[in-house]
Amino acid sequence: MTRTPAAAPRASLSRAKAVWRTLRRLPPTARIGALILLFWAITVLTVHLWPIADPLAMVGRRLQPPSPDHWLGTDALGRDVFARTLRGAVWSIPIATVVVACAVALGSVLGALSGFYGGWTDSIVMRLVDVTLAFPPILLAMAVAAMLGPGLANASIAMVIVWWPIYARLMRAQVLEVREREHVEAAVAGGARGLRVLRVHILPLCWTPTLINATMDFGQVILLAASLSFIGLGATPPAPEWGSMISEGATRFYEWWIAFGPGMAILSVVLATSFLGDGLRDLFDRRSG
Amino acid sequence: MKHFSLKQGLSALLLAGTAITAAPALAQDSDTLVIARSMDVNSLDPSRAFCDTCQFYLTAVYETLVTLDADNKTLVPNLAESWEVNDDFTEFTFALKDATFADGSPVEASDVVWTFERLKNLKGSPSFLMDGLTGAEAVDAKTVKFTVEAPNAEFLNKVSAPYAGIINAEVAEANGAMAGEDAAEADKSEPWFLANSAGSGPFTLASYSPEAELRLAKNDAYWGTAPAFSEVVVTQIQDAVSQAQALETGQVDIAMQIDPDTAKSIRSGDVTTEIVPSFNFVYIGFIPGAKGMEEVLTPEVRQALALAIDYDGMLDFTVGGNGAKQAAPIPNGFPGTSGLTPREQDVEKAKEMLAAAGAEGLKLTAGYPNDNIYGVDFNIMMQKVQQDFAAVGVELELKPLTWAVWRDELGAGEWPVTAIYYAPDYYGSGQYIAYFAMIEGFPWVGRASVGKPELVVNPAEADLYAKALATSGAESEAAYTALGEEMMKDAIILPLVSPNLVLAYRNDIEGVRYSACCNLPLAEITRK
Repeated sequence: MTRTPAAAPRASLSRAKAVWRTLRRLPPTARIGALILLFWAITVLTVHLWPIADPLAMVGRRLQPPSPDHWLGTDALGRDVFARTLRGAVWSIPIATVVVACAVALGSVLGALSGFYGGWTDSIVMRLVDVTLAFPPILLAMAVAAMLGPGLANASIAMVIVWWPIYARLMRAQVLEVREREHVEAAVAGGARGLRVLRVHILPLCWTPTLINATMDFGQVILLAASLSFIGLGATPPAPEWGSMISEGATRFYEWWIAFGPGMAILSVVLATSFLGDGLRDLFDRRSG
Repeated sequence: MKHFSLKQGLSALLLAGTAITAAPALAQDSDTLVIARSMDVNSLDPSRAFCDTCQFYLTAVYETLVTLDADNKTLVPNLAESWEVNDDFTEFTFALKDATFADGSPVEASDVVWTFERLKNLKGSPSFLMDGLTGAEAVDAKTVKFTVEAPNAEFLNKVSAPYAGIINAEVAEANGAMAGEDAAEADKSEPWFLANSAGSGPFTLASYSPEAELRLAKNDAYWGTAPAFSEVVVTQIQDAVSQAQALETGQVDIAMQIDPDTAKSIRSGDVTTEIVPSFNFVYIGFIPGAKGMEEVLTPEVRQALALAIDYDGMLDFTVGGNGAKQAAPIPNGFPGTSGLTPREQDVEKAKEMLAAAGAEGLKLTAGYPNDNIYGVDFNIMMQKVQQDFAAVGVELELKPLTWAVWRDELGAGEWPVTAIYYAPDYYGSGQYIAYFAMIEGFPWVGRASVGKPELVVNPAEADLYAKALATSGAESEAAYTALGEEMMKDAIILPLVSPNLVLAYRNDIEGVRYSACCNLPLAEITRK
């Protein structure tokens, strides 16, 4: 570890290069996952410019099977399922991003403080984590969402409440391990104190497992958001959210196409994130692989 | 009836799965009748029960004094062989047949008096049937006389409701049932009624396990014509598609809740499906007493919104055309409805009226139970309303809710628009007036006004209602027609669709029909 400030930019540059070199060694499945996620990211950013039907307008007869006009058919209100599926990404993916980001932020901060300070901070945070994790995630999310009322904002809050403890545990374990390393002792001996030690000397070495986990959880959050919408606690109609679209299709056994579009969309995102997450773990975190 | 007790959610789905695997292997050729249904039982005590499942259970196990004939209009003798009504419809005298209860004891006037007093004093959901009852008297062992405080031409129809089935007073009292004034607190017999029955009907209760199975056994001591089956099993199957599959494979003989769309998809040649008009309807209700809506949701604005709805399209979107439009909150075919014309959409006029009322750019919120009732998916229905309102420049935000939250928020006036449904308990238009009319003290005045009845009460309706109850025949019908017109003018309740009902059963089953009072009369069903 260098202590010369001037050397830092070069160090981070070579580090970026190293990361890039590592990424190029990603297995093919992980690359496919990355490509799918890239597709959805582009969709979210540009779908409003695409020449597809208005997802909220009745554009054809109701319950029509897939045809050249409506690639995935029409739903019970005569809306284009293909257009709704693509537009659904604008709901599902940003929500999953926000939920994962909030859960990571909240969980990591609490976990890091807990691991670094120990004592009663640790006890309080960890008991809170235990209590939260004691509930099955879907049940807790349902309870919180039902209490707050339906709506995507409330469903997101519910999901953050369900998800943060995982990151708290993860970060605490990392901090506990890194805290004992020699360079930290050296820093403390050199006069560094308190949060500065945590921020400068410990945290930079703790992020990898969190990032891998966050990638994998992204798909799980989409799934949970869809589940909440499916049971009527998430997105409110007429939003083309994937879970509520599946819910609309679930009662229509023979009109399979209504649930097919959003179903495939969810499947693709969940698969993509687990492929990518697996790949990243193999590269960065061989211990748990 | 207000069906507020529907079970929802994952647990129900799981149970539906177990119900399918646990059902008897094959129903054909046995003398057991198996029926698929998503049960909504709130109680099996006749004076407390209030649900669609209760209607046909109580009809099979308890018997009413009079009942409704297959034409769904005429009252015919049941436990009473004849009855007399005085000229101003305040005294009703019934002569009882020589019937016996399942335990062999005779059905006597004292049982009838006890049952009706208990029904009244328990103050349960069906107690409204005995509203205004001032006297119940056993003239002799086989004659019973009832007095009501104001003329009530519909009293006879009310006693045909399954909830007025006669209970064996001695047996029920021995198990904790009470009929006195304090029955609402003192009666502890509800659990007993979940495992036992005390009626005179063709069946008795064998067992009931909530969310799984309701089992009836033939009443061997039945005083009338014995039923064809020795056992009837109602098995819990949650959704229409699963019910259709169970019917196609022969796991069940009758499926009670198949919607017309699912009926179309049944391919088995062993299954008969008939689509018949029902007396059920779904409606949206306006709540001018909701927060901040007093000055907004005026009669003119409500009228305009009623004109904005595309009723023909609604019929197509909700039930694929398998239903009927309905003018006022009285089901088609009930007294007084033949003179009513359903509303038609008129977008231009709606816009004009909204502009005249200064209600451009109106924003409303609709809270409604997130459920599928009688084949109508409320989410689909409300999205259609949302689009129709948008066409006249009114923005409608949708809030699908669980039943518990819906009930809470309805009482608090959280939103100005809601959607819900209603099914009859007996043949007669009075029950609809008693529930929907804008007459002070009536349930929907409370709901729509949230404590400010002057917002919605329509003074013309109370007199018309009194007139309808004090007369019979054409005169009474004319009063109900006038009431229907007044309620259309109120524009508080907008019936959207009266969905058709599918009778779906195996080809070897006969005698399945839809009854306005009793849903599905089990004793009439036979196997070829």
